[in-house]
Amino acid sequence: MAEQDLLTVSVVTPDGSVYEGQTRLAVFKTTVGEIGILPNHIPLIASLEIDEVRVKVQGTDDKFDEIAVSGGFVEFSDNVATVVANSAEKKENIDKDRAAKARERAERRLEAAKQSNDINTTKRAEIALRRAVNRMNISGH
Amino acid sequence: MGASLQEIKRRISSTKKTEQITGAMQMVSTAKLSQIQRHTTSYQVYAKKIRSVITHLAKSHLLDGGASITPRTKEANENDDQIDGLSMLVKRPVKHTGIVVITSDRGLVGSYNSNVIKQTLELISGGNHSTEDVVIIAIGGTGADFFKKRGYKVPFEFRGVKDIPKFRETHQLVKKIIDMYDDETYDELFVCYNHFVNSLTSEFRAEPMLPISAMNVGNDDLTDDSEQEGFSAEYEMEPSEDAILEVVLPQYAASLIYGAILDAKTSEHGSSSTAMKSATDNAKDVISSLELQYNRARQSAITTEITEITGAQAALD
Repeated sequence: MAEQDLLTVSVVTPDGSVYEGQTRLAVFKTTVGEIGILPNHIPLIASLEIDEVRVKVQGTDDKFDEIAVSGGFVEFSDNVATVVANSAEKKENIDKDRAAKARERAERRLEAAKQSNDINTTKRAEIALRRAVNRMNISGH
Repeated sequence: MGASLQEIKRRISSTKKTEQITGAMQMVSTAKLSQIQRHTTSYQVYAKKIRSVITHLAKSHLLDGGASITPRTKEANENDDQIDGLSMLVKRPVKHTGIVVITSDRGLVGSYNSNVIKQTLELISGGNHSTEDVVIIAIGGTGADFFKKRGYKVPFEFRGVKDIPKFRETHQLVKKIIDMYDDETYDELFVCYNHFVNSLTSEFRAEPMLPISAMNVGNDDLTDDSEQEGFSAEYEMEPSEDAILEVVLPQYAASLIYGAILDAKTSEHGSSSTAMKSATDNAKDVISSLELQYNRARQSAITTEITEITGAQAALD
């Protein structure tokens, strides 16, 4: 019965599958708060924040695989959790320099947009900034 | 045998060079083709997943309920950077029809471009749209130039799609297309492109994309029944069905358009490789017939020379 107590987590993006693994616990940051999914959870669809998905590494108590996701949603059924996002990166694959540069760029854009009172650009820059900060946070763990 | 030896020789060498070039181009196209096919496979995992979720939502009759959702006011839209999901479900009276035409930027792809353009024109005339009612969004230079010349409205064109387009690179483009739907630049949207069947064949497709209706969800060949069955379970929605739709629908629309671009690009590499292969074969034919001509000319020159020599010898004796 041990196999029954695992759930499979896969993270897919348009550019391919980013993560695939089995675990006892996966933690997602949804738009309404953090949820942890254990095996045999009821089927669920939830929208995700620009944040991280944490997947407990098998056989450990406090080690997690961390994946940065840019929103999207998670769908869980039959002990398979699928994260469908526009982009996602595993912690070890995050390019810190690129993330730092993206953050600088987003900050500059945000500043410029705020000054010109361009609401659309401001929001876009904010989202870009959140993505960059998210990546940096996760890679810096 | 009008051509002189020199002339034939020159033609052979120039045809040989052409053959080399087309041969190299064929190899490049074939390599790109296999690359993009690999990429498409990984994209399909994503497309399948998002489609099955949408299909599930459609099954619970959410999409039919879309007709009752009133579109948000214009001002609300302008203040909202996110692509507005729910408005994609609203059917509006069709005043303008948007057509995304995906062609290639360059030539040397056989009948690829003319095929798309011809069939798109047929679609336009078949749907009784007048030139003013049609809005063309051209992806690829050939289509853009063609439709602009013909006096169609081309409010947006995009050139320089990468050989292996990445989702991130096309995201701005996709967003623009959806924004224009929200601005009511058009009230329905078709995507016209060549679907890749195999490297010899591609097949024209015109897919209705927006508004998203239960009808055009799930009638795609990528959805097979076995996959949908897994979704008979009732889902718990977090935070709410509407909120999920807000997230899923734009992603779905984006993935559809991206998928079409990817498919079209695959087909482009396919046609390009086929066109270059036939060009190389033709060059080989030309070379062999030229070589025959050259040898004949050379032989007859030698014969003439011998006749002259022996004639001169005879005169001396």
